[in-house]
Amino acid sequence: MPSASSTRSAFDTALLGVRGLILVVAAVLVLAFPRMAPDAFILSVGVVIASYAALAVGWNFVGGFTGYISLGHAAYSGLGGYGTALLIIDAGWNPWLALVGAAVAVALIAVPIGVASLRVRGASFVIVSISLVLILLLVSQSWSGLTGGSNGLRVPRPFADDVLRPEQHERFFYLNVALVVVALAVWWAIDRSRFGTGLKAIREDEDKAQALGVPTFAYKLAVFVISAFFTAMAGGLYALWFGSLDPIFQFSILIGSYMVLMSLLGGIRSLFGPVVGAVIVGYSLEYFKAQYGDTQFHLVALGLLLALVVLFMPDGVLPALGSLVDRLRPDRATSIREMTAAELLEHNRAIEKDSGTDGAAEDRETEEVVR
Amino acid sequence: MSGSLLLQSLILGVLLGGLYALLAAGLTLYFGVMRVVMIAHSAFLILAAYLAWWFQGETGIDPLVSLLVTVPLFFVIGYVMQRLLLSRLRPASLTMMSVLLTFAIALVIEGGLGYVFSGTQRRIQLDYSSSSIEVLGANIAVVKLIAFALAGVALVGLWALMKLTRFGQALRATIQHPEAARLLGVNTDRIAGFGFGLGLATAAIGGTALSLDSTIYPSLHWHWIGPLMAIIVVGGLGSIPGAAIAAMVLGISQSLLQIPLGTTWAQTVFYVALFATLMVRPQGFFGGRLAQRF
Repeated sequence: MPSASSTRSAFDTALLGVRGLILVVAAVLVLAFPRMAPDAFILSVGVVIASYAALAVGWNFVGGFTGYISLGHAAYSGLGGYGTALLIIDAGWNPWLALVGAAVAVALIAVPIGVASLRVRGASFVIVSISLVLILLLVSQSWSGLTGGSNGLRVPRPFADDVLRPEQHERFFYLNVALVVVALAVWWAIDRSRFGTGLKAIREDEDKAQALGVPTFAYKLAVFVISAFFTAMAGGLYALWFGSLDPIFQFSILIGSYMVLMSLLGGIRSLFGPVVGAVIVGYSLEYFKAQYGDTQFHLVALGLLLALVVLFMPDGVLPALGSLVDRLRPDRATSIREMTAAELLEHNRAIEKDSGTDGAAEDRETEEVVR
Repeated sequence: MSGSLLLQSLILGVLLGGLYALLAAGLTLYFGVMRVVMIAHSAFLILAAYLAWWFQGETGIDPLVSLLVTVPLFFVIGYVMQRLLLSRLRPASLTMMSVLLTFAIALVIEGGLGYVFSGTQRRIQLDYSSSSIEVLGANIAVVKLIAFALAGVALVGLWALMKLTRFGQALRATIQHPEAARLLGVNTDRIAGFGFGLGLATAAIGGTALSLDSTIYPSLHWHWIGPLMAIIVVGGLGSIPGAAIAAMVLGISQSLLQIPLGTTWAQTVFYVALFATLMVRPQGFFGGRLAQRF
């Protein structure tokens, strides 16, 4: 956590320096990646990972700020992809205009979907998000006049024919990185704003936030639409790069679960969490597919990874590292850090146990309240 | 549209609704005892179907006999899953994280089935596979009747267990008021484990019933998860009668809509019902005040 006060301790200054250094090195590595990649395959893996990062950051607008876990964000990336393709093919738009146009259209579609699905919380919301993808899969497979059905849709190349495949990879890599940077900047700005504070209040305790006068529904809806927009952009960019769309892969719950896994693994509360998660998950997925591509084993690997994250690292890698750094801090007591409702509960319970308050019933009661 | 076609669809709808009701009852049970939404339920359904198919292929004995193994096996798996995995999740984020955890389990099952049995579509061949009986001009496949009978027996058994036994009493007490149940000496942790095992046992029965007349493949569980989830949301999370009624109504609607719309579009009835329920009554039609929050 950056502490913005003027009385910065030496430890904090050093920490800031290290963070800055890591950031610069990471940025240089990312920008130099296409030059360093030994062959076109590695380059294409890089594009996939950058694309995953864009999707994960798009997902994290809803997941990170409000804590509403959507397993169905593939609905928006898929719609973004199909929208882009259809605007190019049927309406004859310029590819880049189509990309933006499709994302705007998806954001508009997300309004009624958000109005319906944000009325419920927790598990019901997850169910609704899954259903959304299943509906779109049904529709896109059945409405073959528009979407090409199971035969798929060919997306025209946005670049001239003389741009070779590796050069395409390189350009799309930078385009995806640019999208990630823009999305991160928006996330950062929201994180610092009153809007962001309200959203985080919803994440911790929606009823209390509402009681304190946060317009919870409007806030949730706004961030939901922003999330859909960025996810659709990432999906559209993927469609332009990959060149063909198939309902099974576009409206797939797996893609949605990748987004969740990447964000959870990296840490949904931190700015760079989804990006770190995307690099880890994207690399492992490509590795698993390369090793066990012809079997379904990569599903098992994905499932185990998700289970391990949920069971042992629900806050993600970056917050875990953060608390490790906190432990090294010389003046631990003065550190200001965000506490989740769950951590607060644990903390309170520890105090309660220490002071000799007994009884499982009371613990149970606090649990009920938090729920 | 002829009258016999309508009657046939209606009967098929009832038969299908029975199976849906059994599976949705299992889902509601998990939610009741643990506040857990079990995405992996339909994956276990397909697992049971595969086990029945494999059993029949290896031994040549009727797949229904495999229930003798799969029902206790699934009960134990459910108990172990609840005690070892789900009870480890933090209470504050239990509902949300349980969705992700059970989703992960579903992926492992799907991937494991694909790994062991490959993605090829499988189907059980039985002597009575193609036989059917005629009721007022409507042809009803025998296997569908058997599946419905299985679902009916299982549901009645579940009802009797819940209403007539001490275990059922303890389970209902745990669902209604865990603290009070604990005060009365009910070991709610163990009961929750048993409740979970019971829910998974219904998946074993449902899966075997499904294997009788469906073509099965590892990713089939996605086709089931949507309708089942829609049913429990429409019925109201945690309400067993609500789930049963919603299952019947939606199963029959799906079957009737297949005549004008075809199979694929008829499936959207579940999602239309889901979204309509959210707009009109987010807590579901039979759910209590709390259901909206989960």
